[in-house]
Parts: sequence; C-alpha cells; structure tokens
Amino acid sequence: MTDKYILKKDHLLPLLRKLKKTHRLIAPVQNRHGDTLFTVIDNLDEVRIDLENQAQNSLKQFFFPQQETLFSYSNPAGDSYHFEPVAEEIPPTLYFGVRPCDLAAVLYLDVVFLKNAKDPNYLQKRQNSILVGLNCNDPFASCFCNATRNGPFTDCGFDLQLTDLGDRFLVEYDRSRGQEIISQWRQFFAQAGEQDVKAQYQAFLEARGKFKLQVHLDQAVKKLAEDEVPDSVWEELSMRCQDCGGCAYICPTCTCFTISDLQTSDHAGERIRSWDACTFSGFTRMAGGHNPVDRQMRGIEKRFRHKLQFDVKKDNRPSCVGCGRCVNICFGGTDIVRFINMTCCENS
Amino acid sequence: MPSQQKDLYLPRPAEIREVIAENSQIKTFVLSFVDRQYHDKFSYAPGQFLMVSIPHCGEAPISVSSTPANGGTIHLSVRRAGKLTEAMHDMKKGDVVGLRGPYGRPFPMTDLAGRDLLFVAGGIGLAPLRSVINTCLAAGHGRRITILYGSRTPSDIAFQADLATWGQTANVSCLLTVDRAEPGWEGDVGLVTALLAQCCLAPRESKALLCGPPMMIRAVLAELAGRGFADEDIITTMERHMKCGVGICRHCHMDDKLVCKDGPVFTLEELKRLNVLELRG
Repeated sequence: MTDKYILKKDHLLPLLRKLKKTHRLIAPVQNRHGDTLFTVIDNLDEVRIDLENQAQNSLKQFFFPQQETLFSYSNPAGDSYHFEPVAEEIPPTLYFGVRPCDLAAVLYLDVVFLKNAKDPNYLQKRQNSILVGLNCNDPFASCFCNATRNGPFTDCGFDLQLTDLGDRFLVEYDRSRGQEIISQWRQFFAQAGEQDVKAQYQAFLEARGKFKLQVHLDQAVKKLAEDEVPDSVWEELSMRCQDCGGCAYICPTCTCFTISDLQTSDHAGERIRSWDACTFSGFTRMAGGHNPVDRQMRGIEKRFRHKLQFDVKKDNRPSCVGCGRCVNICFGGTDIVRFINMTCCENS
Repeated sequence: MPSQQKDLYLPRPAEIREVIAENSQIKTFVLSFVDRQYHDKFSYAPGQFLMVSIPHCGEAPISVSSTPANGGTIHLSVRRAGKLTEAMHDMKKGDVVGLRGPYGRPFPMTDLAGRDLLFVAGGIGLAPLRSVINTCLAAGHGRRITILYGSRTPSDIAFQADLATWGQTANVSCLLTVDRAEPGWEGDVGLVTALLAQCCLAPRESKALLCGPPMMIRAVLAELAGRGFADEDIITTMERHMKCGVGICRHCHMDDKLVCKDGPVFTLEELKRLNVLELRG
C-alpha cells in the first residue's frame, strides 16, 4: 500500500466537473489565439485545458491582482473622512495544472504576505485555495528550475500533485485537503502499484536530463554573498534596462506594490494597491525629489540582490523559481539568466 | 497596536485640534483620534511613525514629534514637500485626516538613560528628536543634554517654543546656528559641526542622536568619529519612500533591511553594514 493513486486520463474531465460544482476552477487554457493562460473556467466543455505548454501568466494575479481595492473612503466635508472595508466574496478556488515553479512561487508569496504582517486581501484568497500541481516531464526552453532547486518534480507544498505517465496520472497528496478530495471522489482513483511509482521515478530522471539552459545560479549566489559582483555588471545592466517593468510583472515572485487613491467623485474614492517594480525610477524617489538609489548606475541592482542574495540570507533559498518567463519577455537583455551568466563570466 | 489583520491598511479618522506654523515650510498638526476609546488606548514610542491619509492624496509616513506623555494629543510636524503634504498644509483646525500605526523600531530609550545625550538636528530633522528630548525630560533624565540645531535662516527656525523651554532647563544646553543670517540675528552662522566644536563632550559616556539632511549627517558623523564616539553610540533615523508601512511593499528597502520594519531608527554600526547612499556621499 502506498499513499499514491492512479487517475486515468479519461477520468480527469469527469473529476474536474465534480470539483467545479463546489469550486471556482482555474487552469491553463489555450485561447483561440493559441496562447496558454491560467484562466477562470466557466464551462469545461468550451475550453481546452492545455497541459502541454507553459502558461504565460503565473498564479500571482489571482492571489495578488495587478490592481485591487483595499478600502473605499468618503469625505463629504473637511471635518469628516470615513473608511469602509470593501467586502469581496472570494469563492473556494481550485487551481489545476500548477507546475512546480509556480507552486514554489505561491509558497514564497505566503512568506511575503503572511510572515511580517498578515495581509488580509492575500490571506482571504489563499485560505480559499486548493493547489493541484503537475510535475514537468518536459522542461521548456527557458526553464532552469533545476538550478533553483524547486523542479522539475516536487514533493511538497501542493494539495494534490499529478505526474503524467502517458495514459494515466500518478496522484500524490501533501495536505489534508488533497486527501479529502481523493476520499470524496474515490471512484476516480485507483491505488498505485510499484510499477507506477517506478514509472514516475523514470519520468523524473528523464525530465532532469532535458534542461536546455545552463544556469550557474549557485555560483552567482556565492559571488553576491561574497560581494564579488563588479560594479560594471550593475552599470551595464542598469543602462540597458528599458524600465518597462515587464520582468517584475511577469515574475511569479515579484511582489512590490504601490498604494494610491483613485478619486471616484468630489467626495469619495478608493484606496488602490497596484503592482510596482523596483526597477522603476520612481520606486524609491521621495517627496521633494531626493532618490537614495543611483538609478542610472544601480537601477537594476535591487532586483537581483533581493532574489539571489537577501532572500538567501533570510530564508536560505533564492526567490527566483526558474520559470524562465522573464527570459522570454525582456527585450533589453537584462533578465536574471543574463545577469547570472554575466556575473559568472566576469570571474574567468 | 497594529493591527487587527482585517484593518491592516485601514486608517482611522483623526481630528486636527490645532495647527502650529513652525515656519513657512513646516506646520505641526496636533491630532486626536475621533474614536475617543481608541485614542485613549493609543500609544507609541519616540522614533515611530504614522501613515497619514489625506483625501485623494494617498498616504505618507510622518514621524511623531510629540511624546506619549504629551496630554494625549499626537503631534505630526510636516514639511511641505509633495502633493500630500501640500494638501495637508491647507487643512485647518477641525478637519479630519486618516492615521494608521504606529510603525517602526523606536529609539532605544532604555539605552539612553544614564548617558549624556547629544542631539544634532537640521531643519525638519528636529521633529523625531523632539519626541525623544521631551520624553527624556519628562522622565527626569539626570545627565547632561546638548541640543544642536541648524536652520537655513533665522526665520526657518522651527519648534521655537520647545527651543526656548529647553534653553531654560537645567542640565540642558541648546545651541542654534543658521546657514544665512538675517537682520537682527546675533547668533551663530555656519554648519552645526561648528557648534560641536563649542561643546565639551564625553564620548564614552554619551549617546549621539542625529537627524537631518544627508550632507549634515555626513559632516556630523566625521566630526563625531574624530571625537571618539563609537559607532554603536551614534543613532539616526532614516527617511525612505514608503507605501505600506508594515514590511510588505518593499519601497523602503535598504539592502536586506526595510526601513519601515527594521528601522527607521538605526545605529551607525548597523548602517555601516549596509550600502547606504546617505553615508557614501
């Protein structure tokens, strides 16, 4: 007897149909333009769940939307100013087809939003979530989760985890909620045998050998810790960066945000939180114009130090999850892989 | 006191009880929370800050310039610097702002007891130190207190009522200087570092607390190092752009520290381990 189960591929849709009755379902869906995006699924019969390609977005936007209202305010006169929490109903949500990089990213978001102070907006969405993962048998061209050590397979952090074994999925659980799903819908699951577990291990070994990018992340982490990254690297990258914020927006672990007021009438408005990026020149600029960061020479420094130095120091692991999305989006040539490679080349 | 997690970002209305014009650029707003019950339970420590909300202008971090013993009201001294502070300067007695906090690591008040204290401030920098000075005086600080305060011109000298009181307090010496004199000014002209030369200090028995523009801080640090002050005996409070105030949004990063949570008060010893532009010059 193992704690592992088999879900036949024919049973996947029927199972999702059952789960969808009690949960909002979010999964990678290929749209009519051929793009794969994590999408809220209204009708399972009208979409194509795509487990072949990497979703262009991560789960970040669902837990930490690009823009969200923190509360509303009104000030009918100078001597009155009221603040009203905005009641948002977050339905229980099942995230399906979450790859190890995106799963690791959610676990990192937990640290950011729940460790210092408990962010109420995040907490509500996270408490209501079930994560069903999918191990990666075929890492994509820009992937390097082997270097960040959270993939291509993972064994923790999910509620349920699937491994594609051709005609069937091997299913594991890590949280009690995952176990509950298996017991509740026992008719879809068969006990896994020794052969299935062996097949999973074989798939893992094969996946591990399929990475196309060589990323010497450990070496870069070491150089940062020992303060051996030359100023010329920061300068070159900072000058090249086009300040578009694309890397931060697409990154599943970039969480910097700004807060501002959105005036909706003369005497009312909403306090809004929106995604921000530490690479933007206004990010550190204070009232009056003083900026404690030399933007031209070191504008991009914070981004890489945060992920590969400060978080390593604090939590003993980098907060880059190796998903490779920034590699594909950066047109300035200042993505994290370039930084790592430049840093490591400087040595030789 | 912060925060019921549900209210993490939710300010509470606070009424302006009085507005004191310190100079053409700085006003001190005397505030109390509209919710009396909340106000009576509210407390803070010198060096902490509040996030201030002004309608349609968002929020800004402002350090508290009063002391918890100050008759219950909260003083926020605000320099006109951007959109929010401009709007705040237009507000009058009876108007309502939003406040949340207090946030940040305060000055190490227990470490100050039993030490000579040297306060060096420039401009609005006296605001957070005022909270420390008055707290020390209220607690009957038995050792010598030296206050050095630099302003641009004599009409820029803020907190005049406090300066007058401190000047007449036993064990306290209070020296002022200005960058540019005006007719009628008979006091010192020049940098606060020149005032330091007039002071007889015992570095090993002292703590120095600084707050002011980066240029002043750098000059004073050099002078204090020359006088034999140890890095752990020099304390300052840092200013950074902030949005959340609670250690999440990361605007106020200073290497691996966040000014809102790990600061804003730091010793020089701590700052030297970080890459801080203000110290590099």
